[in-house]
Amino acid sequence: MSNNEKLVSKLKEIVGEANVIEDPEKLKALAVDGLIPRVMVSPGTIEETSKVVVYACAEKLAVIPMGSGTKMTLGGIPKKFDILLSTKRMNRYNDYDIANLTVGVESGVTLAEIQAKLAGEGRGYFIPLDPQHSQGATVGGIVATNDSGAKRFLYGGNRDFILGIKAVMPNGDIMSVGGKAVKNVAGYDMTKLMIGSMGAIGIICEITFRITPRPDAEATLLFPFNGLKEAAAFLKKLLHSKYYPAALELMNATMAANLKATSALKGKYVAAIALDGIEEWVTRLKADLSEMGRQEGASDAILLTADAHRDFWMAYRDVADSLAKTQSNLVALKANFALSKVTEMVGAFEAALREAGLNGALFCSAGNGILRAVFGGDDSGAKAAALIGKLTAEAVKNGGNLIVERAPKAIKEKVNVWGQTRSDVVVVRRMKEQMDPAGILNPGRYVGGV
Amino acid sequence: MEREKMIEGLAKIVGKEDVMTSEMELQLYGYDASLNRGRPDCIVMPASTEEVSKVVKFARENHIPVVARGAGTNLSGGSSPTEGGIALLFTRMNKILEIDVENQRVVVEPGAITLDIKGAIGKYGYLYHPDPSSEKATTIAGNLGENAGGAHCFKYGVTSNHVLGAEVVLFDGEVIEVGGKSLDNPGFDLPGLMVGSEGTLGMVTKLTLRMMPKTEAVKTMLAIYETIADGANTVSDIVKAGMIPTTLEMMDNLTIKAVEAAYHVGFPEDAASILLIELDGLKDGMDRLTDEVVAICKKNKVREVRVAKNEAEREKIWAGRKGAFGAVGRLRPNYLVNDPTVPRTRLPEALAQVVEIGKKYNLPIANVFHAGDGNLHPLILFDERDKDELDRVHKAAFEIMKICADMGGTISGEHGIGVEKLKGMPLIFSERDIAAMRNVKKAFDPESVYNPGKLLPAEKAA
Repeated sequence: MSNNEKLVSKLKEIVGEANVIEDPEKLKALAVDGLIPRVMVSPGTIEETSKVVVYACAEKLAVIPMGSGTKMTLGGIPKKFDILLSTKRMNRYNDYDIANLTVGVESGVTLAEIQAKLAGEGRGYFIPLDPQHSQGATVGGIVATNDSGAKRFLYGGNRDFILGIKAVMPNGDIMSVGGKAVKNVAGYDMTKLMIGSMGAIGIICEITFRITPRPDAEATLLFPFNGLKEAAAFLKKLLHSKYYPAALELMNATMAANLKATSALKGKYVAAIALDGIEEWVTRLKADLSEMGRQEGASDAILLTADAHRDFWMAYRDVADSLAKTQSNLVALKANFALSKVTEMVGAFEAALREAGLNGALFCSAGNGILRAVFGGDDSGAKAAALIGKLTAEAVKNGGNLIVERAPKAIKEKVNVWGQTRSDVVVVRRMKEQMDPAGILNPGRYVGGV
Repeated sequence: MEREKMIEGLAKIVGKEDVMTSEMELQLYGYDASLNRGRPDCIVMPASTEEVSKVVKFARENHIPVVARGAGTNLSGGSSPTEGGIALLFTRMNKILEIDVENQRVVVEPGAITLDIKGAIGKYGYLYHPDPSSEKATTIAGNLGENAGGAHCFKYGVTSNHVLGAEVVLFDGEVIEVGGKSLDNPGFDLPGLMVGSEGTLGMVTKLTLRMMPKTEAVKTMLAIYETIADGANTVSDIVKAGMIPTTLEMMDNLTIKAVEAAYHVGFPEDAASILLIELDGLKDGMDRLTDEVVAICKKNKVREVRVAKNEAEREKIWAGRKGAFGAVGRLRPNYLVNDPTVPRTRLPEALAQVVEIGKKYNLPIANVFHAGDGNLHPLILFDERDKDELDRVHKAAFEIMKICADMGGTISGEHGIGVEKLKGMPLIFSERDIAAMRNVKKAFDPESVYNPGKLLPAEKAA
């Protein structure tokens, strides 16, 4: 038996013949940064996943986990790629306790499906997550990459409402930490360690979320501005106020042009404020914020409610996906920065893009200190790479860093996709060494090249 | 290492005056607020990150354990040097370094007192939300070490949700920065790992905390009940109604009596339980929300709901709650406070079982708990000089942990494992779970310089 035949046969034994793909044509389409896996396997349970990893560890085979595959370009180019492990068949709800406000769900379920299910329960609930790829992304992938969206400002991010995780560790051990208790300090906070760990030290198979009741009222206010300084001043005022809107977003004209609700607005920048709360608060916010916007120089605010409000935020989340359909060599960057530096960051990014002769969609969570830039790169990647270097330096100057969420291999090869190395990389590397001494999970894709 | 040489070496780093070695000091810094006693070889008070780094290097080279210490209010034995070594006392590093209003962050030294930090940022109109009841004594890094909670966790989370960055000295003296003023710095959530690590991974020499603007309005209420179940059911119903109060705290009759005896805040001594409810947000709709809460209380047979009319009344209600442990501490010479958490919906059941356990072991148990979080605090009252009673206390404590673990809860919601709860770890973690945690320890501190014997059960011999 050839090596590959042995591998395929063993995997079929573990997950069943129907759940193994060995067809070379199919596998080619599943390449990550140009590397094609030898086989794709879809375990149905955490136990099966464990058995696959035990085998991979013994045979020193590199495993890359995948949910819906919406974020496979994130991270460094893999050093090795043997097994593509799909989490999609792990799609059960193992805990569904609305009264306790907890839901334990396996990684392969899409966030969209869970939200639809929770919305229909009693008064309506949701997981306060609004990241990219609104329809396709699985919770496993969202949590493994720590993706987040605009409403993080009010509701917090993954680390603030995930109570427990079950993961298969790089040696195949099943680790189960946390659970239904909302306060838990027993042992190390392995849940937080796993969030955003990109499959480097374990494959997340199940997540327990704390869910939130849907707000009584929701709306969005859009404020067109002609100047960046004015827009940033308005957002700064809101950030430091007692109003606590759900989201404080700023976009440039290119971004606004890509969204139905904002494409007709006159203004070089648009501030989008989401309002969530009881009726009285939303009513008050509508009035007070409109007045504040006027004072800060915005043109008349546009109010979105009901479907228009929901559709706007859905489209906002999915902008990079929709641009990918028409732009070649799409590059999507995510910078983080200190909250006070909105003007500096957006201004610098605009200037750098202009200088490079590129037109980029910029959208910024002014409340979270996150700026995303999406643009079409050049074929050779040299121009884009130089730009990314410049933007990374800018982000670092403003108290943060920059990562490449999406880019063709030619560009990724030329840049540090995880931004500027920080002093804690020594612990990142040691963690990887301890957890995955055989180096089989996502080798080369994480921070520090681990 | 020879004691004299050790003291000499340390004195060279921090200065002679900042190395303590008297018998009284060794005893004083040998215990904390738990029942665990240890004894350091000496106490060292560094003044800077550089000194901490040098002390740690020295300790590592000479195989001396290092046990961090703030105010020693630790309830699980984490600050107690049970294996000797250097008690590294951070009270000299107590400054608030930077109140960065623009970025909504406050950067502090580890020994800064939590309440002092709040006072300082309060002047600018900002809040640091975690409010462990010991906040007027605790150091902020002590809160970090335990992932302290407090009464406002239901809405605002715990210490871990508000610590965004830290400067950490590793086992070999290397100084690194984890997290920072901005969110989502690339790499593992090391701030998340550091919080709650009980001094076993690194020495924190700077903390970056999140501060948030004050809300416009707050409404504080005290609901009085004839049974504990009615109070607990009120909590369930408030949650079911989709409300997110900042606080849902309960106390039982034994605690109420103790609080009244100590502070005279006006809690009714014949009530079976009282429930402290607080709402915050914009003032619009606050009255309606308050009416809704009162209606829910009435539906659950409340005797009376007192709504605080002003700040003074509000503070009095809170004083009664915050001083609860101290008040209960007057009833008998010692108490052991348990700290398990159960899913909120199982709270009444857990409390009923705690009462049974108290009867079984013939021990008085006062109950204070974060009802919104399902985090109980059964305070077992005893006299440690009675060895039989002490033994029954430990048995009762273990049983309480077990029944909560069996309900899908955890053995510690906010006080940490320390030494106290090591034997409870197998109730909630398999050997594989613990093996994964041992890898974390090895990644940070492969030579076990920091706080040996805490948080993780000893590795079984092969």
